[in-house]
Amino acid sequence: MAAVTLSSGEAGTGQARGDRTARMGACLERARNGETAALSEVVRELNPLLWHVARGEGLTAEESADVVQTSWLELLRRLHDIRSPLALTSWLVTATRREAWRARERSRRQAPGGGEQLEAIPDPDPGPGELLLSDERDQTLWRHFQRLPERCRVLLRMVAHVARPDYSAVAEALGMPIGSIGPTRGRCLAKLRAMLLADPGWSR
Amino acid sequence: MTDPADLPLDDEDQAILDRLAGVDTLLDPPPADLDERVSFAIALDSLDAEVARHTEQITVGSGARSSERTQTITFDADSRAVMITIVDQADGLLRVDGWLAPAAAMRVELRLPEPAPSWTVTADSAGRFAFDGVPHGIAQLLVHPPEDDISPRVVTPAFTL
Repeated sequence: MAAVTLSSGEAGTGQARGDRTARMGACLERARNGETAALSEVVRELNPLLWHVARGEGLTAEESADVVQTSWLELLRRLHDIRSPLALTSWLVTATRREAWRARERSRRQAPGGGEQLEAIPDPDPGPGELLLSDERDQTLWRHFQRLPERCRVLLRMVAHVARPDYSAVAEALGMPIGSIGPTRGRCLAKLRAMLLADPGWSR
Repeated sequence: MTDPADLPLDDEDQAILDRLAGVDTLLDPPPADLDERVSFAIALDSLDAEVARHTEQITVGSGARSSERTQTITFDADSRAVMITIVDQADGLLRVDGWLAPAAAMRVELRLPEPAPSWTVTADSAGRFAFDGVPHGIAQLLVHPPEDDISPRVVTPAFTL
Protein backbone atom coordinates (compact mmCIF):
# COMPACT_ATOMS: atom_id res chain seq x y z
CA MET A 1 0.00 0.00 0.00
CA ALA A 2 2.82 2.34 0.89
CA ALA A 3 4.42 1.73 -2.51
CA VAL A 4 1.24 2.77 -4.30
CA THR A 5 0.94 6.00 -2.34
CA LEU A 6 4.56 6.81 -3.01
CA SER A 7 4.50 6.33 -6.76
CA SER A 8 1.29 8.30 -7.29
CA GLY A 9 2.87 11.08 -5.24
CA GLU A 10 5.96 11.12 -7.43
CA ALA A 11 4.02 11.30 -10.66
CA GLY A 12 2.21 14.47 -9.66
CA THR A 13 5.00 16.33 -7.91
CA GLY A 14 6.48 18.51 -10.67
CA GLN A 15 3.13 19.57 -12.01
CA ALA A 16 1.68 20.13 -8.55
CA ARG A 17 4.62 22.33 -7.60
CA GLY A 18 4.10 24.73 -10.48
CA ASP A 19 0.36 24.79 -9.89
CA ARG A 20 0.83 25.48 -6.23
CA THR A 21 3.03 28.52 -6.77
CA ALA A 22 0.65 29.89 -9.40
CA ARG A 23 -2.36 29.25 -7.20
CA MET A 24 -0.81 30.90 -4.16
CA GLY A 25 0.30 33.84 -6.29
CA ALA A 26 -3.26 34.34 -7.51
CA CYS A 27 -4.65 34.25 -3.95
CA LEU A 28 -2.08 36.81 -2.88
CA GLU A 29 -2.99 39.10 -5.75
CA ARG A 30 -6.70 38.93 -4.87
CA ALA A 31 -5.94 39.63 -1.22
CA ARG A 32 -3.91 42.70 -2.17
CA ASN A 33 -6.94 43.96 -4.05
CA GLY A 34 -8.96 43.83 -0.85
CA GLU A 35 -10.35 40.31 -1.01
CA THR A 36 -8.70 38.96 2.13
CA ALA A 37 -10.98 35.91 2.11
CA ALA A 38 -8.85 34.71 -0.82
CA LEU A 39 -6.08 34.02 1.69
CA SER A 40 -8.03 31.13 3.25
CA GLU A 41 -6.42 28.67 0.90
CA VAL A 42 -2.95 29.98 1.70
CA VAL A 43 -3.81 29.82 5.40
CA ARG A 44 -4.62 26.12 5.10
CA GLU A 45 -1.43 25.53 3.18
CA LEU A 46 0.98 27.37 5.49
CA ASN A 47 -0.57 26.91 8.94
CA PRO A 48 0.99 23.48 9.64
CA LEU A 49 4.46 24.94 9.05
CA LEU A 50 3.81 28.09 11.10
CA TRP A 51 2.29 26.03 13.90
CA HIS A 52 5.43 23.91 14.13
CA VAL A 53 7.67 26.95 13.96
CA ALA A 54 5.88 28.30 17.05
CA ARG A 55 5.91 24.91 18.79
CA GLY A 56 9.61 24.58 17.93
CA GLU A 57 10.22 27.77 19.93
CA GLY A 58 8.88 25.99 23.02
CA LEU A 59 5.39 27.53 23.22
CA THR A 60 2.31 25.69 24.48
CA ALA A 61 -0.41 24.72 22.02
CA GLU A 62 -2.63 27.65 22.99
CA GLU A 63 0.23 30.16 22.79
CA SER A 64 1.28 28.76 19.43
CA ALA A 65 -2.23 29.15 18.04
CA ASP A 66 -2.26 32.79 19.17
CA VAL A 67 1.15 33.48 17.70
CA VAL A 68 0.18 32.02 14.33
CA GLN A 69 -2.95 34.13 14.28
CA THR A 70 -1.13 37.32 15.26
CA SER A 71 1.42 36.77 12.49
CA TRP A 72 -1.33 36.52 9.87
CA LEU A 73 -2.94 39.71 11.20
CA GLU A 74 0.41 41.52 11.02
CA LEU A 75 0.74 40.30 7.45
CA LEU A 76 -2.30 42.31 6.39
CA ARG A 77 -0.47 45.60 6.91
CA ARG A 78 2.51 44.38 4.89
CA LEU A 79 0.57 42.73 2.11
CA HIS A 80 1.38 45.44 -0.40
CA ASP A 81 5.13 44.91 0.01
CA ILE A 82 4.99 41.16 -0.53
CA ARG A 83 5.24 40.31 -4.19
CA SER A 84 5.56 36.52 -4.41
CA PRO A 85 4.33 33.37 -2.67
CA LEU A 86 7.95 32.64 -1.74
CA ALA A 87 8.34 36.02 -0.08
CA LEU A 88 5.03 35.41 1.68
CA THR A 89 6.18 32.12 3.20
CA SER A 90 9.47 33.55 4.35
CA TRP A 91 7.84 36.70 5.75
CA LEU A 92 5.34 34.62 7.75
CA VAL A 93 7.99 32.25 9.10
CA THR A 94 10.09 35.21 10.26
CA ALA A 95 7.06 36.91 11.81
CA THR A 96 5.98 33.73 13.59
CA ARG A 97 9.42 33.28 15.12
CA ARG A 98 9.52 36.88 16.27
CA GLU A 99 6.02 36.63 17.75
CA ALA A 100 6.97 33.37 19.46
CA TRP A 101 9.98 35.01 21.13
CA ARG A 102 7.81 37.86 22.33
CA ALA A 103 5.20 35.45 23.69
CA ARG A 104 7.88 33.44 25.46
CA GLU A 105 9.35 36.55 27.05
CA ARG A 106 5.88 37.59 28.18
CA SER A 107 5.02 34.29 29.83
CA ARG A 108 8.43 34.21 31.49
CA ARG A 109 7.80 37.63 32.99
CA GLN A 110 4.29 36.71 34.10
CA ALA A 111 5.15 33.34 35.60
CA PRO A 112 5.55 33.47 39.37
CA GLY A 113 9.02 32.47 40.50
CA GLY A 114 10.75 33.29 37.22
CA GLY A 115 9.09 30.77 34.97
CA GLU A 116 9.98 27.31 36.22
CA GLN A 117 6.43 26.19 35.55
CA LEU A 118 6.82 26.83 31.84
CA GLU A 119 7.27 24.52 28.90
CA ALA A 120 6.23 21.14 30.09
CA ILE A 121 5.16 19.81 26.73
CA PRO A 122 7.19 20.76 23.66
CA ASP A 123 8.12 17.24 22.63
CA PRO A 124 5.69 14.34 22.71
CA ASP A 125 7.08 11.52 24.79
CA PRO A 126 8.58 8.77 22.59
CA GLY A 127 6.70 5.98 24.41
CA PRO A 128 3.10 7.20 24.23
CA GLY A 129 3.86 8.74 20.83
CA GLU A 130 4.61 5.39 19.34
CA LEU A 131 1.53 3.83 20.93
CA LEU A 132 -0.67 6.38 19.20
CA LEU A 133 0.61 5.32 15.81
CA SER A 134 -1.12 2.33 14.29
CA ASP A 135 0.84 2.17 11.03
CA GLU A 136 3.99 0.08 11.22
CA ARG A 137 6.06 2.35 8.99
CA ASP A 138 4.98 5.35 11.05
CA GLN A 139 6.11 3.55 14.19
CA THR A 140 9.47 2.67 12.65
CA LEU A 141 10.01 6.23 11.49
CA TRP A 142 9.08 7.70 14.87
CA ARG A 143 11.31 5.26 16.76
CA HIS A 144 14.39 6.21 14.72
CA PHE A 145 13.45 9.86 14.71
CA GLN A 146 13.53 9.87 18.53
CA ARG A 147 17.13 8.68 18.41
CA LEU A 148 18.27 11.84 16.63
CA PRO A 149 19.79 14.69 18.62
CA GLU A 150 17.22 17.27 19.72
CA ARG A 151 18.55 19.91 17.33
CA CYS A 152 17.92 17.54 14.42
CA ARG A 153 14.42 16.70 15.62
CA VAL A 154 13.43 20.35 15.83
CA LEU A 155 14.92 21.02 12.42
CA LEU A 156 13.36 18.06 10.63
CA ARG A 157 9.92 18.56 12.15
CA MET A 158 9.86 22.01 10.66
CA VAL A 159 11.41 21.00 7.34
CA ALA A 160 8.81 18.25 7.00
CA HIS A 161 6.06 20.87 6.84
CA VAL A 162 7.76 23.04 4.22
CA ALA A 163 6.68 22.64 0.61
CA ARG A 164 9.72 21.84 -1.50
CA PRO A 165 9.89 25.05 -3.56
CA ASP A 166 10.00 27.04 -0.31
CA TYR A 167 13.03 25.27 1.22
CA SER A 168 15.65 27.93 0.65
CA ALA A 169 13.35 30.81 1.61
CA VAL A 170 12.36 29.07 4.84
CA ALA A 171 15.95 28.10 5.65
CA GLU A 172 16.94 31.72 5.36
CA ALA A 173 13.99 32.90 7.48
CA LEU A 174 14.88 30.36 10.16
CA GLY A 175 18.53 31.37 10.12
CA MET A 176 19.59 27.84 9.27
CA PRO A 177 23.02 27.16 7.81
CA ILE A 178 22.98 26.37 4.11
CA GLY A 179 22.82 22.62 3.61
CA SER A 180 20.67 21.93 6.65
CA ILE A 181 17.52 22.18 4.57
CA GLY A 182 17.24 21.48 0.78
CA PRO A 183 18.43 21.35 -1.91
CA THR A 184 20.84 18.90 -0.29
CA ARG A 185 19.84 16.36 2.27
CA GLY A 186 21.85 17.69 5.16
CA ARG A 187 23.23 15.76 8.11
CA CYS A 188 20.06 15.27 10.09
CA LEU A 189 18.08 13.81 7.24
CA ALA A 190 21.05 11.75 6.02
CA LYS A 191 21.30 10.21 9.46
CA LEU A 192 17.59 9.43 9.71
CA ARG A 193 17.57 8.04 6.19
CA ALA A 194 20.51 5.72 6.91
CA MET A 195 18.80 4.34 10.03
CA LEU A 196 15.52 3.82 8.19
CA LEU A 197 17.05 2.12 5.16
CA ALA A 198 18.83 -0.32 7.50
CA ASP A 199 15.53 -1.20 9.21
CA PRO A 200 13.41 -3.90 7.53
CA GLY A 201 10.35 -2.32 9.17
CA TRP A 202 10.86 0.69 6.88
CA SER A 203 12.36 -0.60 3.64
CA ARG A 204 10.44 -3.87 3.28
CA MET B 1 33.58 9.52 -1.57
CA THR B 2 30.71 11.99 -1.44
CA ASP B 3 29.18 12.63 1.96
CA PRO B 4 25.56 11.42 1.77
CA ALA B 5 24.57 14.65 3.51
CA ASP B 6 25.70 16.64 0.46
CA LEU B 7 23.60 14.73 -2.06
CA PRO B 8 20.52 16.39 -3.47
CA LEU B 9 17.15 15.45 -1.99
CA ASP B 10 15.60 12.54 -3.83
CA ASP B 11 12.18 10.93 -3.73
CA GLU B 12 13.10 8.68 -0.81
CA ASP B 13 14.03 11.78 1.21
CA GLN B 14 10.78 13.42 0.24
CA ALA B 15 8.86 10.29 1.25
CA ILE B 16 10.56 10.33 4.66
CA LEU B 17 9.77 14.02 5.17
CA ASP B 18 6.16 13.63 4.01
CA ARG B 19 5.61 10.75 6.38
CA LEU B 20 7.28 12.65 9.21
CA ALA B 21 4.91 15.55 8.58
CA GLY B 22 1.99 13.13 8.80
CA VAL B 23 3.22 11.54 12.03
CA ASP B 24 4.01 14.90 13.58
CA THR B 25 0.51 16.16 12.78
CA LEU B 26 -0.98 13.02 14.33
CA LEU B 27 1.04 13.42 17.54
CA ASP B 28 1.02 17.20 17.90
CA PRO B 29 -1.96 18.47 15.94
CA PRO B 30 -2.74 22.17 15.70
CA PRO B 31 -6.12 23.08 17.26
CA ALA B 32 -8.85 21.78 14.95
CA ASP B 33 -10.24 25.28 14.41
CA LEU B 34 -6.92 27.07 13.80
CA ASP B 35 -7.46 27.55 10.05
CA GLU B 36 -11.00 28.73 10.66
CA ARG B 37 -9.93 31.14 13.41
CA VAL B 38 -7.19 32.65 11.22
CA SER B 39 -9.42 32.93 8.15
CA PHE B 40 -12.10 34.66 10.20
CA ALA B 41 -9.64 37.03 11.87
CA ILE B 42 -8.06 38.24 8.63
CA ALA B 43 -11.26 38.67 6.63
CA LEU B 44 -11.33 42.40 7.40
CA ASP B 45 -12.56 45.28 5.24
CA SER B 46 -9.47 47.36 5.74
CA LEU B 47 -5.91 46.11 5.94
CA ASP B 48 -4.47 48.90 8.02
CA ALA B 49 -4.83 48.25 11.73
CA GLU B 50 -2.54 47.89 14.69
CA VAL B 51 -2.52 44.31 15.95
CA ALA B 52 -3.17 43.77 19.66
CA ARG B 53 -1.49 40.75 21.27
CA HIS B 54 -3.42 38.40 23.47
CA THR B 55 -1.33 38.85 26.62
CA GLU B 56 -3.33 37.52 29.53
CA GLN B 57 -6.29 35.33 30.27
CA ILE B 58 -7.75 34.63 33.70
CA THR B 59 -10.72 32.41 34.40
CA VAL B 60 -12.40 32.62 37.78
CA GLY B 61 -14.85 29.97 38.92
CA SER B 62 -15.64 26.70 37.20
CA GLY B 63 -18.73 25.50 35.47
CA ALA B 64 -20.71 24.15 38.44
CA ARG B 65 -23.04 27.14 38.34
CA SER B 66 -22.53 28.84 35.03
CA SER B 67 -23.29 32.28 36.46
CA GLU B 68 -20.15 32.00 38.56
CA ARG B 69 -17.72 31.78 35.68
CA THR B 70 -15.91 34.94 34.74
CA GLN B 71 -13.17 35.21 32.17
CA THR B 72 -10.87 38.18 31.73
CA ILE B 73 -8.80 38.65 28.59
CA THR B 74 -6.24 41.37 27.94
CA PHE B 75 -5.09 42.45 24.49
CA ASP B 76 -2.15 44.82 24.17
CA ALA B 77 -1.42 47.00 21.15
CA ASP B 78 1.29 49.66 20.97
CA SER B 79 -1.22 52.50 21.19
CA ARG B 80 -3.88 51.01 23.45
CA ALA B 81 -4.87 48.04 25.58
CA VAL B 82 -8.28 46.40 25.40
CA MET B 83 -9.47 44.39 28.38
CA ILE B 84 -12.67 42.40 28.47
CA THR B 85 -14.52 40.44 31.10
CA ILE B 86 -16.90 37.75 29.91
CA VAL B 87 -19.70 36.65 32.22
CA ASP B 88 -22.19 33.85 31.58
CA GLN B 89 -25.79 35.02 31.74
CA ALA B 90 -28.68 32.91 33.01
CA ASP B 91 -30.17 32.77 29.48
CA GLY B 92 -27.12 31.01 28.06
CA LEU B 93 -25.82 34.14 26.36
CA LEU B 94 -22.87 36.23 27.53
CA ARG B 95 -22.22 39.70 28.74
CA VAL B 96 -18.95 41.27 27.65
CA ASP B 97 -17.74 44.25 29.68
CA GLY B 98 -14.66 46.01 28.48
CA TRP B 99 -12.47 49.02 28.81
CA LEU B 100 -9.89 50.80 26.76
CA ALA B 101 -6.64 52.06 28.22
CA PRO B 102 -5.80 54.83 27.74
CA ALA B 103 -9.49 55.69 28.00
CA ALA B 104 -11.15 57.13 24.91
CA ALA B 105 -14.74 57.43 23.71
CA MET B 106 -14.12 55.33 20.61
CA ARG B 107 -16.36 53.00 18.66
CA VAL B 108 -15.78 49.37 19.60
CA GLU B 109 -16.88 46.71 17.15
CA LEU B 110 -17.52 43.09 18.08
CA ARG B 111 -17.13 41.05 14.90
CA LEU B 112 -18.89 37.69 14.76
CA PRO B 113 -18.73 35.07 11.99
CA GLU B 114 -21.20 35.54 9.17
CA PRO B 115 -24.15 35.64 8.89
CA ALA B 116 -24.23 37.38 12.29
CA PRO B 117 -23.84 41.14 11.81
CA SER B 118 -21.07 43.08 13.53
CA TRP B 119 -22.09 44.83 16.69
CA THR B 120 -20.82 48.31 17.47
CA VAL B 121 -21.01 50.31 20.70
CA THR B 122 -19.28 53.50 21.77
CA ALA B 123 -17.07 53.51 24.84
CA ASP B 124 -17.78 56.21 27.43
CA SER B 125 -15.22 58.84 28.34
CA ALA B 126 -13.73 56.46 30.93
CA GLY B 127 -13.15 53.96 28.11
CA ARG B 128 -15.85 51.53 29.29
CA PHE B 129 -18.09 49.61 26.93
CA ALA B 130 -20.40 46.61 27.12
CA PHE B 131 -22.12 44.07 24.89
CA ASP B 132 -25.15 42.37 26.33
CA GLY B 133 -26.55 39.04 25.08
CA VAL B 134 -23.59 37.86 23.00
CA PRO B 135 -23.75 34.27 21.68
CA HIS B 136 -21.00 31.75 22.45
CA GLY B 137 -18.51 31.20 19.67
CA ILE B 138 -15.66 32.92 17.91
CA ALA B 139 -15.37 36.72 17.99
CA GLN B 140 -12.97 39.61 17.37
CA LEU B 141 -12.78 43.20 18.59
CA LEU B 142 -11.92 46.29 16.59
CA VAL B 143 -11.43 49.75 18.05
CA HIS B 144 -12.16 52.60 15.63
CA PRO B 145 -10.87 56.08 16.43
CA PRO B 146 -13.07 59.01 15.35
CA GLU B 147 -12.23 60.53 11.98
CA ASP B 148 -10.51 63.58 13.47
CA ASP B 149 -8.31 61.39 15.65
CA ILE B 150 -4.98 60.21 14.28
CA SER B 151 -4.80 57.13 16.56
CA PRO B 152 -4.58 53.87 14.62
CA ARG B 153 -7.42 51.40 14.40
CA VAL B 154 -6.75 48.44 16.69
CA VAL B 155 -7.67 44.85 15.91
CA THR B 156 -7.49 41.84 18.26
CA PRO B 157 -6.95 38.23 17.30
CA ALA B 158 -10.08 36.11 17.16
CA PHE B 159 -10.97 34.55 20.50
CA THR B 160 -13.57 32.10 21.72
CA LEU B 161 -16.43 33.37 23.82
